[in-house]
Amino acid sequence: MFARIIFESMARNPRRKMLASAVLILATAVAAATLTVALDEGNRLAHEFRSFGANILVTPQADTVPLEIGGLDTRPVSAGSYLREADLGKLKAIFWRNNIEGFTPFLQVPATIETPQATVETTLVGTWYRQAIPVPDGPEFVTGVESTNPWWEVTGAWFSGGAKECVVGRMLADRLDIKPGQTITIRTGATNTALRVTGIISTGGSEDQALVAPLALAQQLAGQPGMYRTLMVTALTKPEDAFGRENPKQMTPVEYERWYCSPYPASIASQVQAALPGSSAKVVRRVAESEGRVLGRVSALFWLITLGAMAAATLAIAAMAAASVVERRSEVALMKALGAPSGLLAWFFLVEQLAVAVAGGALGFGLGTLLARGLGRLVFGVPSTPQPILLPVVLTIAAGVVAAGSLLPLRRMVRLDPAPVLRGE
Amino acid sequence: MFWRIFGRELRASRARLALALLVVVSGAAVVSALVNLQLDIDGKLERTFRVFGANVLVTPKNGAASQALMPVSAWDEIAARARSDNRIVGAAPYLYVVARIPAASADAIVAGTDLNRVREMSSWWKLDGRWPSAAAEALVGADVARKLSITPGRRFTVDYGGKQQAFTAAGIITAGGPEDNQIFTGLAPAQQLAGLDGRISLAQLSVAGSATQIRQVMNNLSAALPDANVRPIPEFTTAEAQLAEKIRMLVGATVTLILALTVLGVLASMAALATERRHDVGVMKAIGGPTPRIIRLFLAEVGALALAGTIVGCLLGYPLSSWISERAFGSGVAMQWEVVPLVTALMFGAALAGALPLRLLGRIRPAVILRGEGWSL
Repeated sequence: MFARIIFESMARNPRRKMLASAVLILATAVAAATLTVALDEGNRLAHEFRSFGANILVTPQADTVPLEIGGLDTRPVSAGSYLREADLGKLKAIFWRNNIEGFTPFLQVPATIETPQATVETTLVGTWYRQAIPVPDGPEFVTGVESTNPWWEVTGAWFSGGAKECVVGRMLADRLDIKPGQTITIRTGATNTALRVTGIISTGGSEDQALVAPLALAQQLAGQPGMYRTLMVTALTKPEDAFGRENPKQMTPVEYERWYCSPYPASIASQVQAALPGSSAKVVRRVAESEGRVLGRVSALFWLITLGAMAAATLAIAAMAAASVVERRSEVALMKALGAPSGLLAWFFLVEQLAVAVAGGALGFGLGTLLARGLGRLVFGVPSTPQPILLPVVLTIAAGVVAAGSLLPLRRMVRLDPAPVLRGE
Repeated sequence: MFWRIFGRELRASRARLALALLVVVSGAAVVSALVNLQLDIDGKLERTFRVFGANVLVTPKNGAASQALMPVSAWDEIAARARSDNRIVGAAPYLYVVARIPAASADAIVAGTDLNRVREMSSWWKLDGRWPSAAAEALVGADVARKLSITPGRRFTVDYGGKQQAFTAAGIITAGGPEDNQIFTGLAPAQQLAGLDGRISLAQLSVAGSATQIRQVMNNLSAALPDANVRPIPEFTTAEAQLAEKIRMLVGATVTLILALTVLGVLASMAALATERRHDVGVMKAIGGPTPRIIRLFLAEVGALALAGTIVGCLLGYPLSSWISERAFGSGVAMQWEVVPLVTALMFGAALAGALPLRLLGRIRPAVILRGEGWSL
């Protein structure tokens, strides 16, 4: 009987419920969409922050202090120590391997360019543009400056892997009037090497004054086969919180375990250091620390806006629930006149409202997930991950708000004297 | 007569009007707060991104980067601009000198700079000790400090071509970048040490603004300093602009959604109000009230609601927007007056659209309503 009354009441007057349902569905959709985006946005933005470049820098542990001005090392090749290129595949075998988005080794060799007009001292920077490297127990991993330094721009073409080719820094090329396609001669130590210029590179950094060439070539010129000097690693990290800032050396084993298993920049750096023998891995604080601050602010902003969305949704649902109860005054009066007890009446209306809330909430959640996907694709080019965990949350909110919004008018209504209402007074 | 009925009506259905008013007020408050924030978000994001420090470099035009020098007048020009142009949020001159540390018989780079200015531009440095306050104090990069076993408070001597100068290490800084290999001193001590009075190697600037605005600042600087190269640090200009754009889009899309939801909420509660009025309308029509007048009466009611709701909502919205901005960016937000007409238009539009079904009033027969028969909106 109870179920039949509710069912009939819903089926009988679908039109009256249309506006109410539209409000309910849109409100839950907006709540679900903003929550989905808010939960997802941290990860997506952290990914976007990788275009700021490496956040972990690896150098040899036993190194002398580099005499680096404006990014160019002025030490001779004989000074300092080196790291082994062959170990790099191990980086994709560490605990946080999936968070390692890319890495690029660098080896700088002082070189002299000799042109008919002038002799210029410069630096040859050996690196990878796009290199496939073998990974223990896994498929090859393709990385290089293409993924770690996406702002490097080449007019012409990049050099190819092991060839005697190079790209020339824009400022150096302007100074010496070097064009792509030309062949230049460089002197390193006592040897002269002819290199074909494939393009002009513009990085906004010290490379604008240098030559960028394949790593293998730089190793050969430096007489350090299979070696590199610095490694730039870009890793997806979690901004450091109070726990992440603690000194891992003073942690209890349980705390250390938790720290090790959190993708803090420092814990990933320590794993990188452990994977590469003789290395010292440091967190590039300019990128990592600043990223944490910006992300913190943007997240706070986003959660507050989500709060605004929740407030707007709550309000719309509550107002709608209250209005839809008031609308049915005469029905309540009729049922009361027929002898229905007030308690049962209140129950009956409440259950009906809740049924509408759950149905509308579920529809709204579906719509909201679609909205969030669209929003993710629009902003980040990747649809947001659906968050099924939000379904119960959204339904609870919808049901709770509907119940809260209905209760007050319901209480007043079931207490009404049916006679004046039925007479239309 | 009109106003008397109007007044009576408002009093008679206080509770229901209060509910509708609550919806309009809160809707207007949320919308005005978010729109106010959204209009100012560019500035907020641009300032926030300046925690990344310098994004523009001014270097001498001639010669290789490591050896070329600029006269200090170039820096004076930059400093003057930094004072007058509020887009330049920070600037610092640098003179790099490769000096010897006799105690460790090793070389190190001494970076002479304006330490007070550097402090504002390097929020990511971790400082152990304190910031230097006197000319003979220096900041030592973590790697140099470790290699030369310098701790905060220790004195050390640097040597350049036989000329020696003593510094006290006020603090050790960890940056995870080239700064870890440098010793930071005041500009004058570094110039004296190297015998390069009135010379600097480069200047770093932190410029806030959109890509176009940054380019404009750079163009102005280029024009003023013909002998210098003014170039962006692309990872902190291009990448930043792209990221800011994404955040802005995300916030904009969410705010639009909330706007639509609020409008629908107001519309729905006005429609509910209109449904309830049908009885009054029936009576008025039965006793001979002309339809346009009855509609005007109701529109006046809806209009009064929307007006009161918008005024109170905007008044509440500004502090709300300030609070959000304070929490998220640590600074308040200016009142953007465009918000007021926008919110007013939205609220009035929604309220009137909600009252739209009243047009049907002209067509209905009072008897049907008064008998309480099927008349729904």
